Amino acid sequence: MSTTSAGLEFHDVTVAYGRRPVLWNVDLTVPGACLFGIIGPNGAGKSTLLKAALGLVPLAGGEVRILGAPLEQVRSRVGYVPQRESVDWDFPVTVTDVVLMGTYARLGWLRRPGPRERSLAAECLDRVGLADVADRQIGRLSGGQQQRVFLARALAQQADVYFLDEPMAGVDARSQERIFRVLSDLRAEGRLVVIVHHDLRSVAEWFDAVALIDMRLVATGPVAEVLTPENLRRTYAGRLDVLDEIGRAVAEGGRTP
Amino acid sequence: MMEFDSTHLWMHFWAIATAATVSAGCALVGSFLVVRRLSLLGDAISHAVLPGIVLAVLAGGRPGGAGVFLGAVVAALVTVWLTNLLGTHAGLAEDAGAGVAFTTLFAIGVVLVSALASRVDIDPGCVLYGILELVPFDTVPIFGLEVPRALLAAATVLVVLVVAAALCWKELVFTAFDPAAARAAGLPVGLVSAGLLVATSLATVASFEAVGAILVVAMLAVPAAAAELLVRRFHRMLVVAVALGVAGSIVGYLAAWRFNTNAAGMIAVVLGIEYLLAALLAPGDGIVARVVSRESLRWRVACEDRLASLWRAEEGDAAALAPRTLLDRLAQARLVFGGRIVPGAAGGLTDIGREEARVIVRSHRLWEAWLGRHVALPLDHLHPPAEWIEHHLGAEVRGRIAADLEGDEGDPHGRDIPPEGFPSRPADAPTQ
Repeated sequence: MSTTSAGLEFHDVTVAYGRRPVLWNVDLTVPGACLFGIIGPNGAGKSTLLKAALGLVPLAGGEVRILGAPLEQVRSRVGYVPQRESVDWDFPVTVTDVVLMGTYARLGWLRRPGPRERSLAAECLDRVGLADVADRQIGRLSGGQQQRVFLARALAQQADVYFLDEPMAGVDARSQERIFRVLSDLRAEGRLVVIVHHDLRSVAEWFDAVALIDMRLVATGPVAEVLTPENLRRTYAGRLDVLDEIGRAVAEGGRTP
Repeated sequence: MMEFDSTHLWMHFWAIATAATVSAGCALVGSFLVVRRLSLLGDAISHAVLPGIVLAVLAGGRPGGAGVFLGAVVAALVTVWLTNLLGTHAGLAEDAGAGVAFTTLFAIGVVLVSALASRVDIDPGCVLYGILELVPFDTVPIFGLEVPRALLAAATVLVVLVVAAALCWKELVFTAFDPAAARAAGLPVGLVSAGLLVATSLATVASFEAVGAILVVAMLAVPAAAAELLVRRFHRMLVVAVALGVAGSIVGYLAAWRFNTNAAGMIAVVLGIEYLLAALLAPGDGIVARVVSRESLRWRVACEDRLASLWRAEEGDAAALAPRTLLDRLAQARLVFGGRIVPGAAGGLTDIGREEARVIVRSHRLWEAWLGRHVALPLDHLHPPAEWIEHHLGAEVRGRIAADLEGDEGDPHGRDIPPEGFPSRPADAPTQ
């Protein structure tokens, strides 16, 4: 299992908030170097699956391996772009300040970003098309620009696997195009990009493979094979009430009716 | 209460130095609390440390001594732990949990102080308001100089806080801005957050003797909140917050001396005034700046509307409306004075005025035409939006709209769209 070439593996992963399971027994293997979409309706557990991979929520069961190793061993090779609404954009920092944060973990304690980190940050900003707002306070950016700042910060991490949580939410068409281009370039460089996504229309255009999620893995594989009417119906219309009911019973320590 | 007595200038100096040092430490920690939207945590901790202090004194610690600091830090950590416990296990919301935990601990502290008054040398009033005026009387000799014990404690804490902030700067800022991403990147987010709690309790305990449990909240939150209004970079915010805290302490103490009132109270009042001034005068987002920006826009609109109305009269559509409101009359006077309108009752446009007016009418009709083409809007609904947008179109966007409308000669009402002005024309209608 440790010698596999897969980029990301979930082995029978279950995630619970409190005692209530919200993601059931996900078993999923993502090959390396591709644009991989995690698709599903609201409340399906897409972000939760991402956070489980990043160690931000505890696993109730199962195991996650990234690049064939446990997360702790490869953390420096993993980049994360959280949802834009997860932070306070009035925070008194400039665009460059935020991008430099991507270099912090590599720098380690006590060392400050120097000329090397600054030129890397400038390069990453250029890549996402924000060179001209480098010194602006982040609250004065549009939603699409803010999202690209987050992407630039992840680029500055120089990771091999990127996780993005709803990077296109509230983003204008031009930013969206730009972000997808950068992500495609990352794939071309041999990196794995995993994206939580909600817009089915852009999936076929940009993604290589997807996982359809609705509290459990419905289907996974190349886009053309997975995005069938039957699978979409099972993901979006077939909310499994039985999982909800059992989850509630588990949380309350009781028994289902 | 202080008496105006110049023979005790030395005493006042020590009291001011103590207040300023305490305030600097609080402003430093408070800046982190404010940007993390945790100001109320400072409130909670400043109250919850009381039982820790009382128990430490009871165990033989001296006020301002290491034992008391340890007791306070432990009490602060217990508060936070209790808050989390109430949140995760009793199902209380975080703010309610903090409310329960810190008031209960503070109450235990008050009960202890009252019950053990004979054995603990802590004055209940001092717990609330501090005794800045008495600080200079409890001294320790340092190189032959009698330095107040409270100042020594506050200065030590300040040095520790500054060194810690400098060493952990990256981690503190990343954790404050985006804790989830910081954790994903492998930064010790939990440790950094715990460190901030310890720093908050150190700053609080150092301030306790001088300003008391209630006013220390002002020192933590107010200078930092004011600084956040004034600058856009975090490191500058720290410097400004510390400067505001120190200045407020000095001015507040002197004012209390002059008006013979409680020094800590006066310092907090001065800090509040500083915040008010910052909110009024902040560049860009301040109340004054916003009023100025709004009024200058109204003024520009009045002037431009006046010009456009005269232009339309010349075009022969209708007689120009006479200025009616005070703003209209002022605008008329300004335009006459500025050489845009010919003086006198007839008052037509000058050449410059005609150029500027034409651009405004052009903007108006371009926008009507654009709306008519791209937005489903009845013909009689086109005028009001154009009245508004005409003041905000610049030359470049006008050019793009005109290109988009190529072929259409007139506006939807059948009137000609006047051509763009000559490049040499002095002032374009500015865009905002």
